[in-house]
Amino acid sequence: MIALTGLTKRYGGVTALAGIDARIEGKIIGLLGPNGAGKSTLLKCLLGLIPYEGDARVLGLDARTDGAAIRDRVGYMPEQESLLVGASAVELCTFAGELSGLPRVEAMQRAHAALYYAGLEDKRYQPVEAYSTGQKQRVKLAQALVHDPELLFLDEPTNGLDPRSREEMLALVSELPVRRGCAIVLSTHLLPDVERVCDHAVIMTDGRVRFVGTIDELRGARGNEELAVEVKADAQKLADALTKGGARCEVTSPTALHVAGVTTTQVFAAARDAGVQVRGLAERRESVEAAFLRVVADINGGPPPVAA
Amino acid sequence: MSVIHDLGYQRYTGPRRAAGTRWRVIARQQVASAWQTWWRFKAALGLAVIVMCSACAILLLAGDRKSSLGRAQSFVITLQDTVLPESIIWFCRAGFVLTLTTAATVVASDRQSGAFPFYFARSVRPRDYVLGKLAGTALLAAAIVAIGPLVVSLVRLGLTESADELRGQLPIVGKAVLLGVLTTLAYTAVPLGFSALLGNRRHAVALWAAYYLIAGQSLYVLGREVWAPLAAFDLPRAIQAIAYSLFDLGFRAGRDVEIPLGVAVGALVAHIVVAFAVLAIQIRRAHTRGVGAA
Repeated sequence: MIALTGLTKRYGGVTALAGIDARIEGKIIGLLGPNGAGKSTLLKCLLGLIPYEGDARVLGLDARTDGAAIRDRVGYMPEQESLLVGASAVELCTFAGELSGLPRVEAMQRAHAALYYAGLEDKRYQPVEAYSTGQKQRVKLAQALVHDPELLFLDEPTNGLDPRSREEMLALVSELPVRRGCAIVLSTHLLPDVERVCDHAVIMTDGRVRFVGTIDELRGARGNEELAVEVKADAQKLADALTKGGARCEVTSPTALHVAGVTTTQVFAAARDAGVQVRGLAERRESVEAAFLRVVADINGGPPPVAA
Repeated sequence: MSVIHDLGYQRYTGPRRAAGTRWRVIARQQVASAWQTWWRFKAALGLAVIVMCSACAILLLAGDRKSSLGRAQSFVITLQDTVLPESIIWFCRAGFVLTLTTAATVVASDRQSGAFPFYFARSVRPRDYVLGKLAGTALLAAAIVAIGPLVVSLVRLGLTESADELRGQLPIVGKAVLLGVLTTLAYTAVPLGFSALLGNRRHAVALWAAYYLIAGQSLYVLGREVWAPLAAFDLPRAIQAIAYSLFDLGFRAGRDVEIPLGVAVGALVAHIVVAFAVLAIQIRRAHTRGVGAA
């Protein structure tokens, strides 16, 4: 979907993107990184808006030479307010569709459909300026969808939303690949959003891509997935048995322990040998937030844990 | 979470219009949005219609009356022959109202509302944006400052009493068209250039109004008192000077400055060229900054 080879962008003496090599695939991809990491510059390069060195291909098209064709097939929901003065939601979305090359009648029909999808069916004739923050976010999503893009760039789609609106926006986003068959690149600072909807992640810092892979790979990148084990009694006894087998254990209560470095089968075998009754066993996964912080922290302390 | 509606969504597989046609979409939207509210375009159009009807009424009622113009030079000219060049300053006033409500806010509004990502994240090039906004604004301006003079010239033709007189008067239609085109260009490009200078639409309108009314009038006074060509930098006076020259009224009684045709055209062209340059540079900048700018 997105292929980058030696992608470099310099603003004078400042290197915004430092020779990025990556292949980005997935249905919903979280683009993560602190401010100044190069996310916005990367988006501009991918949309073919600014010159760069190296190679960037989006949907099989060269961003340097086919920028207009890419933008016809890509939807962009900006972070900042991006509306037209005096326009209603229908007018705005119809105009957006026409600007992306749709015939007028088709653009109008799809504008209504996109606004229905975004949950603005009863507000679509009102001027957008009068909308609440949540409604404006929905209009921005609808205008990004109206021309039927194959790939959507969403820049902080839940910014400024209350918890309920945020949940609704994330539900809309997570349904898009299923209902409309488009892939999504979600640029956000809100890591719980990524955890909630993304299947892949790209982590950037200092103009470099530090991680590309699935969310599971990100969580498991350090290779020590943990199991949360609940026993009837004698958690320490099971911990001792597992430790002898090479596992790392942390007893959290007389009836619970966390285990790393073993499989579930090995846990059950050790419990049987130790005479301990297992009452519950669950995979204890690292949160995306913790994984992100670990990746960013690892950059300063050691080689980046790039999974793909 | 409410139910998600998809209205029987199907992927669009039809053709897309060529990227080179996007400016037309922008121009049409520009006209449509100006038409929506009475005060943006319709108020100026109403003024232009009043001017046009007044000019036509004077033409019809003037008969063989002589104009006071040229009296100082003992030059005799009929009132009918002076109505069109005299009315142009009034069409310019209607045009100025349009620039205040529409043209001088165009780019500043888009910048203020963050609309540049809306345009440039699509296959809209800076030149499509500039061309679209120019074409849309020019259509609106033409309705105010070009159609009226054309109608007045046609009414003047209709008042001729013989084929010979008709042939003699025929060039005024061409002159009215030329004047309309020049005035349309001036009342399109210059306020658009001002609208591109600032990121707040009210400030842009204020700056344009100050330039048009205060700077223009000051230059006109300086031209009258110090050096005549300076007066040509007052836009309506430059257009009026061109009108007088086109209609062979290159003189004026009273204290007004006589601006030579070349100087008036030069000043007008300078305004338009500078405005185009400002517009092109500002939109080019917005194109690279507008999308994904954190």
